[in-house]
Amino acid sequence: MVSEGGVSAPSIIAVTGLGTFLGRRLTDRLLARGRSLRVLGLDHRRPFRLSEGVDFHRVDLTEPTADGRLAEILSRERVDAIVHAAFRTQPTADLEMDHELETIGSLHVMNACAAAKVRRLVVASSTMLYGPRPDNPNFLSEEHPLRGHPHAHNVQDRVEVETLLADWRRRHPDTEVTVLRGCWVFGPAYWDHVVRYFSLPVVPMLLGYDPLMQFVHEDDWVHAFERAILAPHPGVYNVVGRGVLPLSTILRLAGRRPLRLPTPLLYRMASYPSQGQTGDAPAGFYDYLRYLWVADGRRGWDAFGEPVYSTKEAWMSFVSSRRMRRYR
Amino acid sequence: MSEGRTPPTTGAAEERDELREALDGLRREIRARFPRTQPRPGAPPPELERLVGELRRRLATFGMVERSGEVDEFGMDDAALRRARPLLDFLFDSYWRVSAQGAENLPDGPCLLVANRSGLLPYDGLMVAHAVERSAADRGRPRFLVADWLMTLPFVQPYLARLGGVRACRENAERLLATGHSVVAFPEGVKGAAKVFRERYRLKRFGRGGVVRVALESGVPLVPVGVVGAEEAHPILFKLHTPARAVGLPFLPVTPTFPWLGPLGALPLPTKWVLRFGEPLAMEHLDPEAVADELLISRLTEETRTRIQTLVEVGLADRVSVWG
Repeated sequence: MVSEGGVSAPSIIAVTGLGTFLGRRLTDRLLARGRSLRVLGLDHRRPFRLSEGVDFHRVDLTEPTADGRLAEILSRERVDAIVHAAFRTQPTADLEMDHELETIGSLHVMNACAAAKVRRLVVASSTMLYGPRPDNPNFLSEEHPLRGHPHAHNVQDRVEVETLLADWRRRHPDTEVTVLRGCWVFGPAYWDHVVRYFSLPVVPMLLGYDPLMQFVHEDDWVHAFERAILAPHPGVYNVVGRGVLPLSTILRLAGRRPLRLPTPLLYRMASYPSQGQTGDAPAGFYDYLRYLWVADGRRGWDAFGEPVYSTKEAWMSFVSSRRMRRYR
Repeated sequence: MSEGRTPPTTGAAEERDELREALDGLRREIRARFPRTQPRPGAPPPELERLVGELRRRLATFGMVERSGEVDEFGMDDAALRRARPLLDFLFDSYWRVSAQGAENLPDGPCLLVANRSGLLPYDGLMVAHAVERSAADRGRPRFLVADWLMTLPFVQPYLARLGGVRACRENAERLLATGHSVVAFPEGVKGAAKVFRERYRLKRFGRGGVVRVALESGVPLVPVGVVGAEEAHPILFKLHTPARAVGLPFLPVTPTFPWLGPLGALPLPTKWVLRFGEPLAMEHLDPEAVADELLISRLTEETRTRIQTLVEVGLADRVSVWG
């Protein structure tokens, strides 16, 4: 596998979704590796802060002809490897646009990769796709079916992405495809709707439920992508931190006071705000705080190295950076 | 990001070392000039100082003193277990007066304990785990497998997980055994928990041979356990199905005390319990490929069931009365 056309060490790497946290951090890390690597950044608009050395190209994945344009760029620049990170960090109320970007956009990226004969494709995914289910085993392996959540449109869209990708991979055996499923990311700089929930002054929790949670630190998360794009690691990997913590302990560590509400009450109360913010019923988010969806990270740890931060350390890194802790 | 920062030059490193040396010298000087002497007369005794310090620490961490905050990968919390131990000991020694027989049959390493299921709440799992832990000083506490519906029942679930309950599925059992934990399984499942009083101690069908398969694949001995007494602790007279749907239970049991006495009726009766550990099932001669042999699996499963049934019947014949 290493010998095939020198894929083992790509020299020209493209990153879609340059403006996202992952895209920005990953390009910065790749650029820091030296001049032998050329990094292309793709996004629908020029990022506010564009790192020096990134070759920026404007591509809007929601346009119907995005695949042609992307293929043209990829073959002109002779891109070896591509990281697909152009996903919403958090769901928006614009369901159709989210679907266009995440599902159809990914399809465009896959088609462009096939046309430009890109040798390696790394796709960002999430362990949220396994879905919070009462019948999940304590540790979900990469082979577990992606059952998603019917009330989380972003999760459903990305389950579709993985389905399309699995099919695409069968038809294009020449391209090494790596899927990295990260769990909830915490760290000093990362921000999304999950972080927003945990930053609330009073954190609503479901009365009578206290599931085990699993986090990954932003640096470990980006590190996995860096390792995956630089060396061949075909397959699916969970990218998670070691250890689990109950939700109540997590909030206590941050000095947060949980507001425990009965499930039907919370789901009814949060219905309208949730519809406005994410376009989904509250169950689409709060079920992830109700049932277990912890992933088994052993395969990822073997491939990309031991994570620097455990679940608790990732959480404490976030907490101390926000100065959330009030005592001890 | 650390990559973006320029590494310190050698000059800066030398400066830092110098500063550190100077500080160390100062520290030595201070220690030499002000030696630690006996406490001044009139100063509070060290015990009192310690006590005040402890009190201040406790006040600062009010409400989180006895919490460890750490759980193992299956959600068991050692601190919670330590706190629950007096209650478990009381239930074991005084309430049900559990006597464990045949503990010499327990192997030294991890094993799969298979028992008859009794009652809706998993007291039997807790007591079997307790008996195994107390049978030898160096034996770890086994985890007990709990049915799905109980493992996601609000209020019950967090406590069960902290005390070592794990959702009953193959992946969990295999992972636990591979990491050196013993596992208590109840293959009768909900069918066992739902037995009405007149069906007591008649073992139901054993799932689909999962226990035998797990034991074979993990290469651990399978120890049959007969639990006598637990099935009378919650005598179910009959079951209601319609009101149970509303609360998410598989059925609502009607016992002599429940629901008549309200929450008090959920308390189990103080029957006398006898746990009998049988000899491990002989499976050493089988190779791992035997897992694919469905007929063999079902024969071994049936053998396990018969062995447990025998253990239970011996226990029933031995006892003088339900209350012991």
